[in-house]
Amino acid sequence: MLSTVISRPWIWSWVAAAAAFVMVMALTQGRGAGELAYAALSFGAFAAIVGLGQMLVITLGPGNVDLSIPAVMTLAGTLSLKVMGSDPNTAALGLLIAVAAGVGAGLANFALIYLLRLPPIIATLSASLVFQSIAIWSNRGLRIKPPAGLADFATGRTAGVPNVALVGIALSVIVWLVLERATFGRWLLASGQNLRAARLAGIPVELVRATTYVTVAVFASIAGYLLASFSGGAALNMGQEYLLTSIAVVVIGGTSIAGGFSNVPGVWGASLFMFLVVSMLNSYGLGAGVRMMLTGLIIIGIVVAASTRRIRT
Amino acid sequence: MKSLLLSAAAIAMAAPAVFADTSDKRIALSNNYAGNSWRQAMLQSWEDVSESAVSSGTVAAADAFTTSENQATEQAAQIQNMILQGYDAIVVNAASPTALNGAIKEACDAGLTVVSFDGIVTEPCAWRIAVDFAEMGRLQVEYLASRIPDGGNLLELRGLAGVFVDDEISAGIHKGVEENPQFEIVGSVHGDWAQDVAQKAVAGILPSLPEIVGVATQGGDGYGTAQAFAAAGRDTPLIVLGNRQDEMAWWAEQHAETGYETLSVSIAPGVASLAFWVAQQVLDGADVPKDLNVPFLKVTQDTLEETLAATPEGSVATTDYSLDDAKAVIAEAK
Repeated sequence: MLSTVISRPWIWSWVAAAAAFVMVMALTQGRGAGELAYAALSFGAFAAIVGLGQMLVITLGPGNVDLSIPAVMTLAGTLSLKVMGSDPNTAALGLLIAVAAGVGAGLANFALIYLLRLPPIIATLSASLVFQSIAIWSNRGLRIKPPAGLADFATGRTAGVPNVALVGIALSVIVWLVLERATFGRWLLASGQNLRAARLAGIPVELVRATTYVTVAVFASIAGYLLASFSGGAALNMGQEYLLTSIAVVVIGGTSIAGGFSNVPGVWGASLFMFLVVSMLNSYGLGAGVRMMLTGLIIIGIVVAASTRRIRT
Repeated sequence: MKSLLLSAAAIAMAAPAVFADTSDKRIALSNNYAGNSWRQAMLQSWEDVSESAVSSGTVAAADAFTTSENQATEQAAQIQNMILQGYDAIVVNAASPTALNGAIKEACDAGLTVVSFDGIVTEPCAWRIAVDFAEMGRLQVEYLASRIPDGGNLLELRGLAGVFVDDEISAGIHKGVEENPQFEIVGSVHGDWAQDVAQKAVAGILPSLPEIVGVATQGGDGYGTAQAFAAAGRDTPLIVLGNRQDEMAWWAEQHAETGYETLSVSIAPGVASLAFWVAQQVLDGADVPKDLNVPFLKVTQDTLEETLAATPEGSVATTDYSLDDAKAVIAEAK
């Protein structure tokens, strides 16, 4: 039992998250545990949502990554908040606009990759400049407040759990079901393990790739929509920190960077960890330089621990 | 002959309105970043002042260029292009105080006037419109001390790690705390000048902090900080704000509900218009000292309502500087 648990690559991100949590609690003698867990779930949810999308793309195999996530978040947040214009009862319309922006961005990314044969890194990076420019052009960086009802939902809780975390968990369950139970999930994993073999086996690999690139953009746009509602408006730089975070949570979570293997629970563990490690280092009063260095070292440690376990089993 | 007469007539007619010396000069703005509301307001201010200056014939052109990636190398290349395009002056908000010095020197050697502002450069041939960021930090603690004479625990919001502005403001805040030892900084987090990042960072450190009486910020992070305190169910401390519209709207709301009072201080994005006029004055042959100082834009309870009304929703409080303002700043530096 214990050995099967330890052999799971996702366990390490959870162990690390728990360790960071305990370290903060050691400092405060247990005070504020609920508060910290709540904050970790709220902010971890955004990282988890974009991380899930990035995980699907990385699963497609070597070279596949979406670097346009921050720009898509900014674009979706800006457009949806502009359309809603703080009017009540427009939350659904705003979500629709955000998702539409995500679908559009995903299709644009895939068009560059498929039609122009650009490597995904170049395609998504250059497309992100276009998305960012559209966001700037559409609203010149003005922060429009979200409708009150939507803001209350984004910052509120249900049964003690942040609503944004509930949205994140719902999306995770869907992704997990698709990967584990649906034909599409099998196609995705097979394409990631060996693209040529998958194509010869009759899998519509380009359709799989297109769907995946659209999915990551839609996840990013949902995260952007929620984050803008959560923090009181869209800002032009709001998605910036999610570029590296989205990749880091995938890798720390035990998903193979070489593609072909996904890991949903690991993304959550890693998202919580990424928040908690910053809180821990901040709480101990370490400077930015030391903090970044330690974060880097800890990430390397987790990835090494997770991958050696995988090789042994 | 006829055309010569005509143009002579045109010059004679236009003469009272223009500063004849700069009417054929072209000024370029080299900007390293556009991705936040402050920079957008800054570009807007440049556009406003340059449009009216061009249409009134004060200068021939005043074009704005922004690099896409906020990289010093990219901006250096941009400046070299401007030299080749034959601009007479370059107004620059620099990605780095030192990395552009080579390109700036080339521009000076080619006879261009270079005026740096906000993100200033150390190259001696350029003019610098600097902000006393350290004083901005110190001032915050001084204000906190005036409001909370007994002192207490402070939380410090920092900006983007590794940027010189962040180090300067933070040094000022720490200096202020040294002068007012009744305060102690018990926590310090990087909010990257972004409300959502600040909110996240503050939410992460709050559980481990004792009661906080005041928060010193760097601008663009006050509203997120307030949100994080509210979400944690803590009393709102005295948060010094940074002139963003959402911060001031929040302040006005709090004031109406609980009588909350604070101070808001930042640099007006309109400093771009000041830089424009300084460049124009240099081109005009005026004697302008190399180092100039921009005043802060302070918002107090008395000016809150007026400033809030004048600030577009979601933007930053600003003020456009006129030629006379520029002359006053120049005179002060002499």
